[in-house]
Amino acid sequence: MNKQPQREELLKLIEANRGIIFKICNSYCKNEDDREDLAQEIVYQLLKSYAGFTVEHKFSTWMYRVALNVAISFYRKTRTGSNVIRLGETATDIEDKTNYNAELEQNINRLQQFINELKELDRALMILYLEEKNYKEMSEILGITETNVATKISRIKDKLKQQFSIVNN
Amino acid sequence: MKDISLQNIWKAQDEKLERSLKLNLRIFESMQTQKAQSKLNALVRFKTVAVVIGVLWSAFLGLLIYGNQGKNVYFTVSVGMILFFSIWATAAYIKDIILLKNLDYSSSITNTQKKLAGLQVSTIKSVRIILLQLPFHSTWFWTQKLVTGDTRFQLISFPCTFAFILITIWLYKSISVQNMDKKWVKTFMNIGPEYKSVTRARDFLSEIEEFKKDQDIKA
Repeated sequence: MNKQPQREELLKLIEANRGIIFKICNSYCKNEDDREDLAQEIVYQLLKSYAGFTVEHKFSTWMYRVALNVAISFYRKTRTGSNVIRLGETATDIEDKTNYNAELEQNINRLQQFINELKELDRALMILYLEEKNYKEMSEILGITETNVATKISRIKDKLKQQFSIVNN
Repeated sequence: MKDISLQNIWKAQDEKLERSLKLNLRIFESMQTQKAQSKLNALVRFKTVAVVIGVLWSAFLGLLIYGNQGKNVYFTVSVGMILFFSIWATAAYIKDIILLKNLDYSSSITNTQKKLAGLQVSTIKSVRIILLQLPFHSTWFWTQKLVTGDTRFQLISFPCTFAFILITIWLYKSISVQNMDKKWVKTFMNIGPEYKSVTRARDFLSEIEEFKKDQDIKA
């Protein structure tokens, strides 16, 4: 089989799913430079790991595994004490203020901050939950049982809700 | 806050991200031109340097043994044992590099992260192997004449070698992942650049175990 079309095909798939990469980068990196480095690293590893991808796997499941594994490894390698996004810091560096919704903007930043404060593995789990993955898929990506996924999500959600209510009151 | 609103807030990011095109264009351009290089290779680089040093050191020891031509059995055995432990440690580093190079990032997160953290922690194993050669550094200069005919030499050298053996056993037992927080182990390990990454990896391994453990309790 010709390798080039496979690579082209993969690049198209990655591009179509690039939102996943950017959201993961935002959740594991504070600085724009780090996010860019991480995004590049994820794409690099996706291309490198493509040989192991088989049609039995759902593309997004495979992509989440690679992206989250790379993000956690990258985070662990580069993290410093200040690697947490604080309230008021924009995680996505968007300057476009068209249809600017201050409350939504604030909530996005808060959610991003709360997620950034979670431990690496809990963060991965929460990203998958927010991406509306089902328990089965989450357990396959994380390598834990569905029961464990459900228990942890419930616990983290309670924690996040509590944090939101503290900030809002 | 309702559950659904967390997911809605998360979804609202999509729109923002779609407008942030600077990043993705640059990334995909570099991918197309194959400029990208992995930046996650710090551990591979560290272990590669260790392998190069190990190979050079082993070659030097091999030359010494070859040069001696078996004339002095104490020298041959001592340097031979030092060589053996050096090759063993070097081989352990080579094995780690191969495992790191072939690390499957598409495996489940707990599995991959556990392997990766395990490979960082394994630096300790290599240090322990290297330590095993310590007693032989006190015997390579022995000769048959000194060992059998020189009382003063016997009174100094034998206790010294015995002390080296005891120290080696103690160090081998004491320098472990579990003891990494002890002050003297920290000082000892700080000689190399890997102390922090080993302790972090050890802590992360515990986190992974904890992350997986809930299933046993709750299931």
